[in-house]
Amino acid sequence: MAVPTDERAAFLREVGLDRQNGAVLGRLLASGNVAKAEEGPDGRMHATIRIRPDELVFDPSVLVIPHGGDLDLELINDDLNTHCMLLPSNGDSQFIWLVNHSRGTASLNLDGPGYYWYGSPTGNDEGRGLTAAIVVLGEVPPEARLDRPAQPRP
Amino acid sequence: MAEYVDAGQAVNWASLSGVAGSAPPVARTVDYERILRARSEPQNWLTYFGAYDGQRYSPLEQINTDNVRRLTPAWVFQCGPAGLQAGGSTYAWESAPIVVDGVMYVTGWDGWVFALDAQTGRELWRYHHATPYDTSLCCGNVNRGVAVAHGKVYMVSPNAHVLALDAETGQCVWDRTNGDVRAGESATLAPLVVKNMVIVGSAGGEFGVRGHLDAYDLETGDHVWRTYTVPKPGEPGSETWPADGEQWARGGGNPWITPTYDPDLNLLYTGTGNPAPDFDGEVRPGDNLYTDSCIAVNPDNGQLVWHYQHNPHDLWDYDSISENTLFDADGRKLLAHFNKNGYAYVLDRTNGAVERVFPFVDRIDWGEVDAKGQIQVYKYPDKEGEPVHFYPGPGGGKEWTHNAYSPRTGLVYVPVQDVGATATRRRREFKEGIPYWGAGVQVDAEGMAGAVSAFDPLTGREVWRWRNEVPMCASVLATAGDLVFAGEPTGEFNALNARTGELLWQFQCGSGHHSSPTTYNVGGRQYVAVPSGWGGWIEGFAPGMLAGTHGAALFAFALPD
Repeated sequence: MAVPTDERAAFLREVGLDRQNGAVLGRLLASGNVAKAEEGPDGRMHATIRIRPDELVFDPSVLVIPHGGDLDLELINDDLNTHCMLLPSNGDSQFIWLVNHSRGTASLNLDGPGYYWYGSPTGNDEGRGLTAAIVVLGEVPPEARLDRPAQPRP
Repeated sequence: MAEYVDAGQAVNWASLSGVAGSAPPVARTVDYERILRARSEPQNWLTYFGAYDGQRYSPLEQINTDNVRRLTPAWVFQCGPAGLQAGGSTYAWESAPIVVDGVMYVTGWDGWVFALDAQTGRELWRYHHATPYDTSLCCGNVNRGVAVAHGKVYMVSPNAHVLALDAETGQCVWDRTNGDVRAGESATLAPLVVKNMVIVGSAGGEFGVRGHLDAYDLETGDHVWRTYTVPKPGEPGSETWPADGEQWARGGGNPWITPTYDPDLNLLYTGTGNPAPDFDGEVRPGDNLYTDSCIAVNPDNGQLVWHYQHNPHDLWDYDSISENTLFDADGRKLLAHFNKNGYAYVLDRTNGAVERVFPFVDRIDWGEVDAKGQIQVYKYPDKEGEPVHFYPGPGGGKEWTHNAYSPRTGLVYVPVQDVGATATRRRREFKEGIPYWGAGVQVDAEGMAGAVSAFDPLTGREVWRWRNEVPMCASVLATAGDLVFAGEPTGEFNALNARTGELLWQFQCGSGHHSSPTTYNVGGRQYVAVPSGWGGWIEGFAPGMLAGTHGAALFAFALPD
């Protein structure tokens, strides 16, 4: 029997999918928190992403930004192991080592709606939980829309 | 609590790769005039098809029928990805490497472009356009190449952007959004530079979009014109769509392959894709112009000058996007187009008049086309829930992978796919961004066949055929060494005798071929370059090879020093 969405967190906790070496060996991907980035007056967006001790999940594991553009991230590793981040950005992906108890930054440019995965490409961090998403809301610019009446969406 | 260790600022991923970081300024002098005369500098492969005529023919002859048996890999470039990417199971390396005075510019998939030393394979710079993981990609995460001019490299991204990069550094110079990813649009083709513009076409015909061809200013990225391939109500051709409703607005017809160009006639020749929904024609009665057509377009203003529709009211997904190869014979200006429907069309390219139509694949039973282009249809997948089997399947007797034409032999060399399919019409309501096929389709995994076939386009006569057990799904390349290069889905890269079809040389690249090999010369040595990375819409054109090994290698072959 399927578990309703609003009971999902409790169910994940009950079966041990909310932690390392509980139900599975690592941590189920994208099972962490969801948060929105803040937007500054200059249109740049800001957010903080943490790796909490022994949780092996990016917090938030789904970061929502209101539109495409420039995103400044503060990146904090509170874990007791070394991790890293390979983040999507136009031009080239951005990479940073995050040794135990370290803090760094990254600036990304993502130009359109959709979602983008990032992760910690060391060992099997990515499979064990350190894979997360940045969700870009919004529409493409008006000049890129098709010349047709508004169409029904799902 | 101890202070955090300062991890600093994230760095470019490529800075940890040994990439050189810059390329010589060879692209600064590439312009329209040089591309017009591309074949006069055979050491380079300046534009997608090698020249505007689309012949995919090189005058290089150092590698020839006498010595090709000695051909060996000179270098290999690999670009396996890190992290998750869109269509991770369906990516393919479909690109045609462009070479300018010793520098190769080649796209990968998923928004990648690389500049390489064409003599050694060393990576000079790379660019990656971040691609949403959920981008609508009907047929895989693919890209077919770049255009180069005015010191810039032009490309499209899976999320339908058009970009100009600095050819020396890979830095973005300008970036324009060409399509609506929320409508299911994407982009896959290699742009074409004509005059002071870069020409691009849209993709997304399986999502009920409205196809378009666009021109942008080379320097500024300013939008110059857009031509829709499906007319609005009241425009010429709109009478071929239902008068009521909005089927025209979802009509497809995407021009997702690079045009060819005749500078004397000042016409672009662009193939257009299937109408949408692909298989449910009952919701779009009429011929559905200008889907499944060759359209001749004035590049100065985007005006449609003439059209020829190969598949009026298509019900079989027979896109007509295959290249229109320009050639002259007996003073006539002609073009040759090998359609998904299994027939080849030779047209007068001044006006679109039919010169000759002939079949090029053995099994054709959807219908019949006579020598003048008259169509008799035998099989319609038009009854709800009733399976209909037909040949060729929706992958076509030949899909996008390109022919070559050798002016030395006067023959067109064709990668042939001989595969059937069953379509069962299943109507669905249109919703933006959701696949809009109107059928369930299963392509035959058994009984596949393929070939490289050589045709005389003036007579329709098949001069020779090199047979293969599985379809041939990669572009072929013809050279003045009287060679035809053709890759197989099983990884072999072959050199055939252009006059007889005899297999003269073969190398196993480790992954199937679904790309466009090119050839060039650096330092007096001829190279043949081919990306090997099996993938794409395999279930459509070669389902019996669906589990073929993925790859990410570009091989450059040459004779031993």
